[in-house]
Amino acid sequence: MTAELTTTIKRGIALAVTILITLIFAFPLFWVVISSFKTRLDLFAIPPKWLFTPTLENYRGILASDFVRQFLNSLIIAAASTTISIILGSLTAYGFSRHNIRGSDFLLFWILSLRMLPVIAVVVPFYLLFRTLGLLDTHIALVLVYCIFNISFSVWVLKGFFDEIPLELEEAAMLDGYSPPQVFFRVSLPLARAGLATTAIFCLIQSLNEFLVALALTARAAETAPVGLAKLQTFLGTDWGRISAAATLFMLPVVIFTILVRNELIRGMSFGRMK
Amino acid sequence: MAEQAIAAETMPETAVSVATDVEGKWFRRLLFIPTLGFLVMMTIFPLLYSLGVSLFNYTTGGEARFIGLGNYANLVTSPEFWMATRVTLEVTVIAVAIEVVLGILLGFALHQRVPGIGIFRLIIFLPMMLAPLVVGLFWRFLLDQTFGLIDYLITLIGFEPIPWLTHPRYALASVIIVDVWQWTPFVVLLVLAGLGTVPGDLLEAAALDRASAWMKFRHIYWPHLRFPLLLALLFRSIDTLKMFDVPFILTGGGPGNFTTTLSFLGYRYHFQFFQIGMAAAISWVVVIIINIVANIFVRVLTPKKPREQVDTGL
Repeated sequence: MTAELTTTIKRGIALAVTILITLIFAFPLFWVVISSFKTRLDLFAIPPKWLFTPTLENYRGILASDFVRQFLNSLIIAAASTTISIILGSLTAYGFSRHNIRGSDFLLFWILSLRMLPVIAVVVPFYLLFRTLGLLDTHIALVLVYCIFNISFSVWVLKGFFDEIPLELEEAAMLDGYSPPQVFFRVSLPLARAGLATTAIFCLIQSLNEFLVALALTARAAETAPVGLAKLQTFLGTDWGRISAAATLFMLPVVIFTILVRNELIRGMSFGRMK
Repeated sequence: MAEQAIAAETMPETAVSVATDVEGKWFRRLLFIPTLGFLVMMTIFPLLYSLGVSLFNYTTGGEARFIGLGNYANLVTSPEFWMATRVTLEVTVIAVAIEVVLGILLGFALHQRVPGIGIFRLIIFLPMMLAPLVVGLFWRFLLDQTFGLIDYLITLIGFEPIPWLTHPRYALASVIIVDVWQWTPFVVLLVLAGLGTVPGDLLEAAALDRASAWMKFRHIYWPHLRFPLLLALLFRSIDTLKMFDVPFILTGGGPGNFTTTLSFLGYRYHFQFFQIGMAAAISWVVVIIINIVANIFVRVLTPKKPREQVDTGL
């Protein structure tokens, strides 16, 4: 009885500490969202104001600025690069999973290593290459570069999902007279749906968040939201109200995506060892 | 190839038609050629170019002059290069160490089976999904010395406000704090994934045997945590070794050069000093460091016994 009671108390304390730490982690996010609804005066008040009359002034300001265009650029570039990466990535992942080719292990490792490539190493040559091709400050340039990282990621994650599909299903389809491409498109690909969705969301998030390549390869026309946010800080003095509003808006898709994949997150990371 | 083998085994001989074979061939080419072609085209040129240009004294607008390893020699004798190397390594070692320890503790804590814990798991995953640049901006706002919330809280409990972003030591600490805030969740995620693979009956047996907490950790949890933790170390080290966004927005590399990482130094050489040869040389130093670190981890990660191969029917 007493032993049980102490375990319950211990667990209660452990839980309380956990929740407290989690809330500390969440706090900066909360504070920025709160700040986006503050007037300039409330923003810099000392002591900081917890209760205040909310204003939409910051959002009005940011929606009337270049940020909307930059946000759109971000979404277009992320969507295009994700689509291409998922198409090429799923084909190749399936290839590695089902049709071993010569040097598979080496090729697979090489593809993963591209994900580790320091951006700074490729940014300079890409700058010069795209300048020569006249593609500086275009959506295409960013889409192409992001595809390198996203394809590498897709191949690795999707291979795991294809590996989990039982071969018997594909054999049965073959017996029904399906050709290899039909087996892939009508049997395996639909079965890997969950994997495709998760991978797509990660590719989207990564392309939305990228900064250095976007900073180096764009000037105005194709500028993305992170670059715009960085410039907001440098040139407009430091309008923290607007920055908070822009950051809050920019966080929205990512938060929604995270909520969508929350259950896949842990399972995806255990590489199929968790059933 | 797999299908053909299967087809030959299971189908009547007449069914193995030439048509399927031809179709299979173009399909296999379609699987690999576009991707490999794209990746080779997109990476070989930049890497070769960057390697080549690192051997030239090349400034934007000026004439390129071959100087062999001259840029690398300049780097080795430049104090700012060593400073950047030190900053990069310091941030990597300290931040990753804190992230792993904190990540293990939080991972165990969030693994408890309690109703409603899912929402806290979701909250903890948010920071790592955000753009590092946006995170850097948040923290610049929070750490500001005059109106930032953190310093206000510090004065509230009776301490002097800390010049987070303007003092050499504290600026480095700020960069580390931001990295820890954003990436501890990643370690938590991997720990949770590892804990999810621990079989339940093993824990029940341990409970019956009244095994101590340490024994349980050592013999039941650890074997399932080793691999995810090494993965966490691998990815975190690589990412901090190439860190750019956070110092760029949080401290601007300052004060002085005290938070200028190698990637940031490379960026400055190209976009501020226009010394492209030097910039390329620095980026190759980053590539080499990351390769060394990645190789060490991959060697530790690869199990001694032959890897489990997925049965492809070959």
